[in-house]
Amino acid sequence: MAEELVLDTAIRDWVLIPLSIVMVLIGILRYFVSKLMRTTQSPDAKIIKEGQVVIRARNLRAAAGFIPLKAFRVRKVYYTNEENGLLHVPKGQAQNPQAQMFSDPNMAMDMMKKNLSMIIPQTLTFAWVNFFFSGFVAAKIPFPLTQRFRSMLQNGIDLSTVDVSYVSSRSWYFLNLFGLRGLFSLILGEENATDDTQRMMQMSGFGFDPSKSLGAEKDGLDIVQHDWVLPKFEQRAQAVLRKRLSS
Amino acid sequence: MASHDESGKKSNENEVPTFNAENLQSNMKVVYYCRTFMSIIGGVIAGICGFTGLMGFVVYVLVMAITSVCLTARAGFSIHSYFDSWNRVLLDGFLGGLLVNVYFVCAVLDVSFCA
Repeated sequence: MAEELVLDTAIRDWVLIPLSIVMVLIGILRYFVSKLMRTTQSPDAKIIKEGQVVIRARNLRAAAGFIPLKAFRVRKVYYTNEENGLLHVPKGQAQNPQAQMFSDPNMAMDMMKKNLSMIIPQTLTFAWVNFFFSGFVAAKIPFPLTQRFRSMLQNGIDLSTVDVSYVSSRSWYFLNLFGLRGLFSLILGEENATDDTQRMMQMSGFGFDPSKSLGAEKDGLDIVQHDWVLPKFEQRAQAVLRKRLSS
Repeated sequence: MASHDESGKKSNENEVPTFNAENLQSNMKVVYYCRTFMSIIGGVIAGICGFTGLMGFVVYVLVMAITSVCLTARAGFSIHSYFDSWNRVLLDGFLGGLLVNVYFVCAVLDVSFCA
């Protein structure tokens, strides 16, 4: 049964549009605030060194085909040598950087600030939406949904016969939240603070970076087969030169 | 929309194509921005025309196909000197754009619904 509910223009003027505008403005505000509050961390020399070693090892792995076999082996041994290879982390030391990072007050404070600057506006807006805009049908989703979604999407609406496509303003808020991420990435350029799911993924990977990545790079280097892609390079260079000189 | 720094990425190797990672990444960014923008436009159009349900999805796929064709044409039809595989230019950003598209369809439909 597809009864066509016609929504009041007042709903459109006072709910849908203001909510969207408020969310866009809060996103922009959050972007600028996070920019202002960004403290420059003094970089730790040890961590940077390890990061650079990882990058070098990765480059070696990627470009292994372009250097002769002997050169590649020499470099590989330099990195993965058991006694003093750069990537070899003695077992007892492996856990330390991670623990140290989390107890380091500056870093913890930074992560806390980033978290807060993301969570607080969302919580406040959600509470505002709940308080003011509950109890009526706010919007209609353009595609048909099953009955399962009723409890999720129609929170304040107590009628059980209304089509599930008509949703409350809470779901309009969530729809805004997800849909405006794309818009923000367009108008704010890179690294806008609204992309919180990406941030969360980054943060969960942050603590493990130094200690585990060295081991991972070492394993990767051990695995690489040297595939010499420039076997007849001298002949080719000769042919190209001859062609150039003869023309 | 596609900016002018989609410059060629191949190095001088004729047998093994290697790519400059930075340029490749910037090309991917351009593709992503284009797709997001087109999904917004497509969503607004679908909302204005009143397409709902499956029709709206079909319109989205159509808009994405048009975007892919235009990007391919902009790259001069030699994809391999700008991207490392066809999949990247055709399919990347499809799902992310879908969400944005759905959002704008809903927004426009509901705003025009009440009038």
